[in-house]
Amino acid sequence: MRFFNFHLMPYPSLPDDYDGPAWVTCPNELYDPAVGGQAYNRYLDELIYSEELGFDGVCINEHHQNAYGLMPSPNLMASILARQTKRVKIAVVGNALPLYDPPTRVAEEFAMIDNISGGRLIAGFVVGGGPEYYSFSINPAFAREKFAEAHEIIIKAWTEPGPQEYIGKHYKLRFLNTWPRPVQQPHPEVWIPGAGSLETMEFVAKHHYAYMGIPYFHIDVFDRTFRLFREACEKEGYEYDPIQAGWLTPIYVAETDEEARKQYEDHFWYFVRRLLPGINISPPGYTTLRSMKGMLKGIGTFAINLKTWDEVVDGHYAIVGSPSTVLEKLEANLGRLGTGNLLGLFQLGTLPEDLTKRSLELFAREVMPKLRERFPDGKPMLRSGERAA
Amino acid sequence: MADITTELFETNVGKVQLRSGGTGDPLVYLHSAGGEGQDLTFLNDLADNFSVYAPMSPGFADSEGGDQIDDMEDAVFHLLDLFDRLDLDAPNVLGLSLGGWMAAELATRYPDRLSTLILVNPAGLYLEGAEIKDIFGRSPAEMAVDLFADKSHPMAQMMLAMDRTMSDASALKDIPFELIEPTLKSMAAAARLAWNPYLHNPKLRKRLPRIKVPTLVVRAERDTLIPEPHSQTYAAEIPGAKLVKVPDVAHMISVERPAELSAVVSAFLASVPQPA
Repeated sequence: MRFFNFHLMPYPSLPDDYDGPAWVTCPNELYDPAVGGQAYNRYLDELIYSEELGFDGVCINEHHQNAYGLMPSPNLMASILARQTKRVKIAVVGNALPLYDPPTRVAEEFAMIDNISGGRLIAGFVVGGGPEYYSFSINPAFAREKFAEAHEIIIKAWTEPGPQEYIGKHYKLRFLNTWPRPVQQPHPEVWIPGAGSLETMEFVAKHHYAYMGIPYFHIDVFDRTFRLFREACEKEGYEYDPIQAGWLTPIYVAETDEEARKQYEDHFWYFVRRLLPGINISPPGYTTLRSMKGMLKGIGTFAINLKTWDEVVDGHYAIVGSPSTVLEKLEANLGRLGTGNLLGLFQLGTLPEDLTKRSLELFAREVMPKLRERFPDGKPMLRSGERAA
Repeated sequence: MADITTELFETNVGKVQLRSGGTGDPLVYLHSAGGEGQDLTFLNDLADNFSVYAPMSPGFADSEGGDQIDDMEDAVFHLLDLFDRLDLDAPNVLGLSLGGWMAAELATRYPDRLSTLILVNPAGLYLEGAEIKDIFGRSPAEMAVDLFADKSHPMAQMMLAMDRTMSDASALKDIPFELIEPTLKSMAAAARLAWNPYLHNPKLRKRLPRIKVPTLVVRAERDTLIPEPHSQTYAAEIPGAKLVKVPDVAHMISVERPAELSAVVSAFLASVPQPA
C-alpha cells in the first residue's frame, strides 16, 4: 500500500454572492492575488509536511482558467517540491498532453523534475478535462488522437536514442532529441487518471501503467471502474497488480466522528457547490459514444448533485470521522476496489491550514500504519469472492 | 408532396446516409450542425420540382467516415466524390448554416461543380461585433431560443424537454441513449469542422468574389444564432448575389417554415436559366 497526499490547490475565497461556474467563464477579476499568493505557499507547506509524516508521495495536477485548482502548471509546483522534499515520490497527475505543442516539452520538463529530485517523479499523462478544451480552444474531437501521439513522442524521447524523427498526424518533429534524459530507467513510473472511459483503461492496461480513478462519484461507480480496469488487464493477458490502481478520495480525520463532521462539512460543501460547478462540461467528441453509453448510468451520482450529508456518507464521497471510523471505511473500500495506491485529498475547499494539518497528523499516526499492516506490499488486496469474474 | 427515400450510399469515406427523391434538375441540400434530415418535409416540398439529394455529412446520423474528415477541406473533397458517384455534374446546391458554409467553400474552390448557390443563414465568416453565438457549450433550452421563433414547434419542445431531463440528476440515468445519440454524433462531427476557428474560415471572405454562379442568400429575420451582418456580407461579396429576408422565423428555417423556404427557393431557381 502506498499513501499519497493529493492537493488541488483550490481558490478558497469565491465571494458569497457569486453563483456561477468555477470553470471557463468564472470571471478572473474575482481572483485576489494576495489570497492566491498566500494559498500557494500554504498548500506547498502542507505537501512538504506530509513527507515528515511518513507519506509515500505527494500529488498535484493541471487545470486551467478555474477556481477549483490553481495549478495551470503543475510542473512549476513539482520543481519546487523536488528541492524542498528529500524522499517522497512527486506525482504530477498529470500533464494534459494535447495542451502542449509540441509535447516534447513534457518530456523535457518531466525529465528536469526527475533529475532535480533524484528520480522521484511519477509521470502522469492526462487527456485534459472537458473545460480545458473550451479554455484553450483545443479541438476535443482530436483529444484522444493527440494524446496517443504525444504519449508516443514522450516515451520515444525517453527511451530511444536521438536525434530521431517523428512524423505523426498531429505532430511532425524532424529532430526529436531531448536533453535532459530522465534518471529513472527506462522511464519514470506512469500514471493515467480516468473517469471511467473504456479507451483510457484499455490504453493503461496495454502499456502496464497505473490507472487512477477520478473521484466525486458514488463508491459503486468506482467499483465498476476498477472492475473494468482489471478486465482490461486480463484482456491484455495478465493479472493486474494492485500497484497499478489508485483510488482518489477526500479524507478528513478528527478526534471523534461528531467533531469531524462539524469541522469539515461546510468546507466540503464549498468545494461541491462552489468549485465543482462547470467541471462536468463535456465537449463534443471528447468521449466516445461507446464510453458515454456506459458512463451515463453513473453521471447522476456525480457529487455536484449531492444535497445532504447522509448522501455523502452513504455514497462514500468523502471518508470523514474519527481515526477508527476512517480506518474501518478505508479498509472496507480498499478491499473492495483493490487499489494499491490511496490518494487522499486532505485539503478540500476552504478547509483551513490548522485543520488540514491536524487531519494529516491523525491519519499518519492512527490510520496509515494499520492500513500498511492490513494490505502488505505485493499481496492481493481484493477480499475473496469479489475478484473480477 | 413527392416521396423521399433513404439509403446508405458508398463513398470515399464509407457509407453515408443519403435521402433522395423527386424529378427535375438536381438540387443538393447540405444540412446544418444539428444534422437535420429525418422527417424534413422541406425535402418533399422541393422534390415536387427537383431531383433532391440530401446526404448526411460523414459522422452525422448513420453516415460512416466521420474519423476521416478533419476539416472543411476534407468535407468538400468528400462532396466532390459524392457528386461524381451520383453523376451530378453541377447541381443546384443549398446549404443551411454549417451546410451553407460548406456550400460556399465548394463554390469558391470548384465553381464548375454547381450551377446555383443558395446560402440559408450561412455560417463561415467571422465578423467583429457580430459573432456567431456558441453552439458547443450551451444548454438545449438556450439553443432552442436561437433556433426556433415558435417555441411550440415540436423540435423546440423536444429541446426544452431534454433540458429539463438534463438538469434532473435522478432522471439522467434513465435517459434512453438512443434519444441523445444523434445530437452527440452531430456535435462531435460538427466540432471536427468548426471548433477552432469557430464556425468560420478566416480566408473565406476574400475568396467570395470568385463565386461566379447565380447566388441567393436567405436570411431568417429572427435568427439570433447568426447575426444579420453575415447574410449581408455574403450577399455583398458574392458578385450578383440576391438577398431575401423571411420574417418571423429563426435559424432552423427549413425545419420551422419548410413551405415558405421552398417557395423562396423555387422562385429563385425559376428566375435562373437552368442548363439544358
